[in-house]
Amino acid sequence: MPNVGAELASVPFGKMIYDMASAIARSQVALDKASIELVKVLANTTFDYVPDVVETLMPNPRQIKGANGSPVMDNNGNPVTVTGVLVQTDVGDSFPLTLLQAGVNPTFYAFTNSTIEVKMSITSTQESSNTFSAGVSVTASADFLFASGSVSSHVNFSSANKFSYSVTGSSSMSTTLAPVPPPKNMMPRFFLVNAIDPTKVTVSQS
Amino acid sequence: MYMVAFNGEFSQASSRAIQHHVRKCNGFTLMVMKTGIIAAFDDALVPVVQSHPDVKLVGGVTLNPQGYAADRLQRIFAENLSKQLEIKGE
Repeated sequence: MPNVGAELASVPFGKMIYDMASAIARSQVALDKASIELVKVLANTTFDYVPDVVETLMPNPRQIKGANGSPVMDNNGNPVTVTGVLVQTDVGDSFPLTLLQAGVNPTFYAFTNSTIEVKMSITSTQESSNTFSAGVSVTASADFLFASGSVSSHVNFSSANKFSYSVTGSSSMSTTLAPVPPPKNMMPRFFLVNAIDPTKVTVSQS
Repeated sequence: MYMVAFNGEFSQASSRAIQHHVRKCNGFTLMVMKTGIIAAFDDALVPVVQSHPDVKLVGGVTLNPQGYAADRLQRIFAENLSKQLEIKGE
């Protein structure tokens, strides 16, 4: 008789889990290496950052000129002036800023959920059939002096056994890869020192 | 959003070639720098973009709103994106 327990025990669960776990670990290392490379690129990419642009509106009175270019006068003989505006722009000094400081963070990925599914179907059928037939024939004859008789019998027995056994199995593995925030140990810390008051140091991390 | 880093030294020719490559992949260039470009394209096209000979690496990036110039970068990205969307509509 088939032993279902033995069939299930023959499934290499341990090896499947080990293979999947080691594949995930190798992939995770490769993904982390790529993300760390990206951190280096972002940390080495600088651009000039202009922190502020100050625009000051200054009064700019000017006289209205007529068609011939001479100043237009009012009824009292004073030149007509309008309040013009002069925009004075003061661009602050630029300084280099890395993309990482600016706010571009690398994406890290992590395998969040992994599933191994094994399906087995075990079918076992057994058919047996027996046929039995028996017959007896009796013949007798008699005449004046003799009498004779014969008895014959036959027995037919046949037996048939059919046995079938099949095992089918399928397995599937799935895993979920999700973006996660950068691990703190992999991201640089930023120290902001206030030169006006050096005791004020702000430490931040992306 | 991806950072597409250049292979080797910066050159106008390779930078443009990569931007055209991203454009062919229905992507958009959001910002161009000397080490690479920040671009937006379909996740499935990462290997295609990566296959360009002038591309060193392609890595996903996100914009940290607490970054020093995050709001400025966001505006730059939006401006550059809007220019490319106009061109696409013609």
